[in-house]
Amino acid sequence: MTATVTSYRSTVETGRAGFGQVLRAEWTKFRTVRGWLVATAVAVLVMIVLGWLTGAGSHSSYNSGPGTPDIVGHPYVPIGPGGEAVQDRFSFVHRTLDGDGSLTVRVTSLTGAQVHPGPDPSGPGQSRPAPVQPWAKAGLIVKESTQQGSAYAAIVVTGGHGVRMQYNFTGDKAGPTGSVSAGAPRWLRLTRTGDTLTGYASTDGTVWTTVGSVRLAGLPATVQAGLFAASPSQENVTQHLGGGGRVTGGPSRLTAGFDNLDVSGGFAAGDWAGTAVGGDGTAGLDERTGFMQYGDRVSLTGSGDIAPDVTGSGDAMEQTLAGVFGTLTVMVVLGVLFVTGEYRRGMIRTSLAATPRRGGVLAAKAVVIGAVTFVAGLVAAAVTVPLAEHILRTNGNFIYPVSGLAQARVIVGTAALLAVAAVLALAVGTILRRSAGAVATVILLIVLPYILATAGVLPPEPSRWLLRLTPAAGFAIQQSLPAYPQLSRAFTPAFGFYPLAPWAGFAVLCGWAGLALAAAGYLLRRRDV
Amino acid sequence: MEATIDVTGLRKRFGSTVALDGMTFSVRPGQVTGFVGPNGAGKSTTMRVILSLDSADEGSALVGGQPYHRLRHPLHHVGALLDAGALHPARSGRNHLLWLAHSQGLGTRRVDAVLEQVGLAKAARRRAGGYSLGMRQRLGIAAALLGDPPVLMLDEPFNGLDPEGIVWIRGFLRALAAEGRAVLVSSHLMSELQDSASHLVVVGRGRVVADTSVQALIAAASGDRVTVRTTARTEAMTVLARSGATVTVTDRDTITASGLPAGRIVGLLNEAAVPFSEISSHRATLEEAYMELTRDAVEYRAAPLAANREEAAR
Amino acid sequence: MRTALHAEWTKLRTVPGPCALLSGAVLLTVALSALVAAATTCATPGCARDLDTVKLSLSGVQLGQAVVAVLAVLAVGGEYSTGMIRTTLTAMPRRAAVLAAKAATVTGLVLVAGTVAVLGCVLAGRLILPGNGLTAAPGYPPLSLADGPTLRAAGGSVLYLALIGLLSLSVATIVRESAAAIGLVLGLLYLFPILLHVVTDPGWQRRLQQIAPSSAGLAIQATVGVHDLPIGPWAGLGVLAGWAAGALLAGALLLRLRDC
Repeated sequence: MTATVTSYRSTVETGRAGFGQVLRAEWTKFRTVRGWLVATAVAVLVMIVLGWLTGAGSHSSYNSGPGTPDIVGHPYVPIGPGGEAVQDRFSFVHRTLDGDGSLTVRVTSLTGAQVHPGPDPSGPGQSRPAPVQPWAKAGLIVKESTQQGSAYAAIVVTGGHGVRMQYNFTGDKAGPTGSVSAGAPRWLRLTRTGDTLTGYASTDGTVWTTVGSVRLAGLPATVQAGLFAASPSQENVTQHLGGGGRVTGGPSRLTAGFDNLDVSGGFAAGDWAGTAVGGDGTAGLDERTGFMQYGDRVSLTGSGDIAPDVTGSGDAMEQTLAGVFGTLTVMVVLGVLFVTGEYRRGMIRTSLAATPRRGGVLAAKAVVIGAVTFVAGLVAAAVTVPLAEHILRTNGNFIYPVSGLAQARVIVGTAALLAVAAVLALAVGTILRRSAGAVATVILLIVLPYILATAGVLPPEPSRWLLRLTPAAGFAIQQSLPAYPQLSRAFTPAFGFYPLAPWAGFAVLCGWAGLALAAAGYLLRRRDV
Repeated sequence: MEATIDVTGLRKRFGSTVALDGMTFSVRPGQVTGFVGPNGAGKSTTMRVILSLDSADEGSALVGGQPYHRLRHPLHHVGALLDAGALHPARSGRNHLLWLAHSQGLGTRRVDAVLEQVGLAKAARRRAGGYSLGMRQRLGIAAALLGDPPVLMLDEPFNGLDPEGIVWIRGFLRALAAEGRAVLVSSHLMSELQDSASHLVVVGRGRVVADTSVQALIAAASGDRVTVRTTARTEAMTVLARSGATVTVTDRDTITASGLPAGRIVGLLNEAAVPFSEISSHRATLEEAYMELTRDAVEYRAAPLAANREEAAR
Repeated sequence: MRTALHAEWTKLRTVPGPCALLSGAVLLTVALSALVAAATTCATPGCARDLDTVKLSLSGVQLGQAVVAVLAVLAVGGEYSTGMIRTTLTAMPRRAAVLAAKAATVTGLVLVAGTVAVLGCVLAGRLILPGNGLTAAPGYPPLSLADGPTLRAAGGSVLYLALIGLLSLSVATIVRESAAAIGLVLGLLYLFPILLHVVTDPGWQRRLQQIAPSSAGLAIQATVGVHDLPIGPWAGLGVLAGWAAGALLAGALLLRLRDC
């Protein structure tokens, strides 16, 4: 009876169908809820405001001596040839070298001492014998000048890390291991050919091993070359629950005994001059301050370090980005609501009826929330960093300089971190289909490990494991200063140092988001809606 | 594409509850097919399975000969209204249609056209959260029409509509069917379908109880019952029973006979000279026919009033 | 009020969510405390002076508070998302009484669960810490509730959880949306400690620690160096109580004034 009826033919032209259309639909969904746009703006503002707060709440001042007024600012921090902040304070016995040349010396002893402040805080303090600091070092050095931060290369013996070839503060090559004593002295040689410096080590002065060879581009013809000694401050780190860490300790000294000093090449005639590099610049080194010569033998006492400076002098740039947690919270809520909102109202049925390829719907949602969050995060971070840095500097703080590349990585990485966290939130929201539970789960997964690891609740080793395994590993992308192995510093999470490299940590977060998204996709395809 | 829905042998259980128990029916173009049954009979589940939202344990549901999830532009083939409340309250009605349109590669022009078609153009830019139930139903119908599909599937579209809205939607559905579309409309109230549906699929407890045209259903429910008013009850009963009718006493002076047409009864009674004052053949309403069919299929039924009182007295 | 209380209790009792969340809160709190205790060792003699074993053993509260927050937020947010709030307010038109009943019910439940959780934490600390060298010899007697500060820290932690529940419930009443409420509460709880980490000015640090609900509230757990804290234990808990009371008042006011 109805067989004669002809089916209706649509008069509406069929549009294109594909992922692009699904993506466009999801974007339309996002942009047409005003509350979500407002929340995104709030997320941006939160980071900026908290960045401002960080700057406003950090003041630095110093005085040049007892009785002098405090000055807003920070003590001078030398900058190395690579643009990084460095420590460059050591005892230097040197002669001018013009052109090529070579130095050879035998190190016969290393003696350590701990300096305790004397009755007069500005006085030299009293030193008591103490074990040699592991990174206390003495040896031969060729340095552009006695200016702090100038280029150098050195072949050194250390308290606990054997012979090293070090150059331009960040460079460090390991040589033969073993410590120095009267019974086991160590021969060192440093030669300069053009701008290439080569370090050698030997146990007997006849058989030499090459430790390393470096090119110091732009090294002037006339340089200072000679002996040096330095010993970094001792650091004992104690951690308080919920209150970060405390560093105790104090300056240390190293006295190195040398003999058989021999130079060749373009050395200027004259005596060896002693300079306390990084000292107040007025006094040279003499017998009272640690430079003694008895015929062939030389004894040199030094304090300080020639190394990169990454803690203690100022703020790392990522500290301006503490507001990322506020932004994260808002974007996690949005990421969750972007899908649970549909479940709550049954709109998910409309969505999946319109696009039966459910994986495509989830992917489109992930792209939209990820992209929105990335852009918001990028804007927020790009505004916050310069703004907060400006306030910090105005308040006298030193901010560790980092390369443009590292700066870009921190800012873009922060945006990427937020984007991946939002995608994780979307995935968890799809899995749980409940807003409150999903929001709490994601925030706990990301923020709680971070707090436990960095607020000094947990000891360093468990903290490191938390930052290797949990989504909080992703914050490694914000670490702007590397943890140099040639520093005996507490490179713990409590001080902002992550156990994983920036991109590796970020990859861990991505792994979590990827797994959650895969699980969400599987469940979304399998479940009835 | 043929404008058809073919549902074959759908079975689905939720835990120990059987939701669909061999559901089988077809929807043809050019007519409005009513999909009726009591609450919990499996109407919504069937519709969700047709849309590939739920998966059936067994059986198949094809739209124009294809499973829904294979359709590239599903809204060009099937328009569905499942739950008119499924909206984000902060999004305007127009924007709700806009994202849906974008998902099918359609633009704003089509959105404005369907808004006009359902008479919602004026309110389109307001927050959907502020819409009345009737406006939401109109918006849901607009969404179903977005792809101008040959198949339409509406779940309880009469819910919450005022009388004017009900009249509008009946006419609208008939007009859509007249264009050659297949229209499936579910309802748990037969009366709502009375003037719009020409074909009925009656379901109960997850299976089809009747799949027939409206006329046939009414005829079947009416049966061939004939009421005879007579003062000579016993004689009439004897005469009719002898000729093969089943006779019951309905009242002091009426009996009901079934199994014989009315004309034959008149003849028999005249032949035997049994007096009677009225003979009427019974015609059931659609509602009665439906009640008859679904009596055993009702899942939730109010307890008889007496029982209620007893309960309350406790 | 009694009927409102009864109604709220029935509401919470008859859905599986709250029960699961409360058990989850207990379990997670004790688990994290046990983990932290297990991770704490006394390898160097230097740790002898500084470790606050009581606070360490109670650190699971950091996690438990989030679950409590979810429970409390859902007690209100759940009604708004399903529209049941209209049924509730129709049945009990005195809105302040409804909120008070809800608050009382949630607080009561959290107090019970919190007590169980905190007792579990103390027990875990007592059993685990001596195995890591934190014995009476270097100055760490086994945890005991007979010790005044320990009892204060443990009892205070239970109150802390209850106040977090109250704060969360109030925030949910104010924003009427579970996801946003839980984000707001967790942001409030976790953002301050992180901010404390980056602000270097001691004055600012003190001030932040004095006003932050979680940092000030958790001062109740300190048993070592109590005098050096920016805020005393009970005063700190008082700050959190202030936050909770303020939020509750705002919630009650909005509930009264707004259409639902």
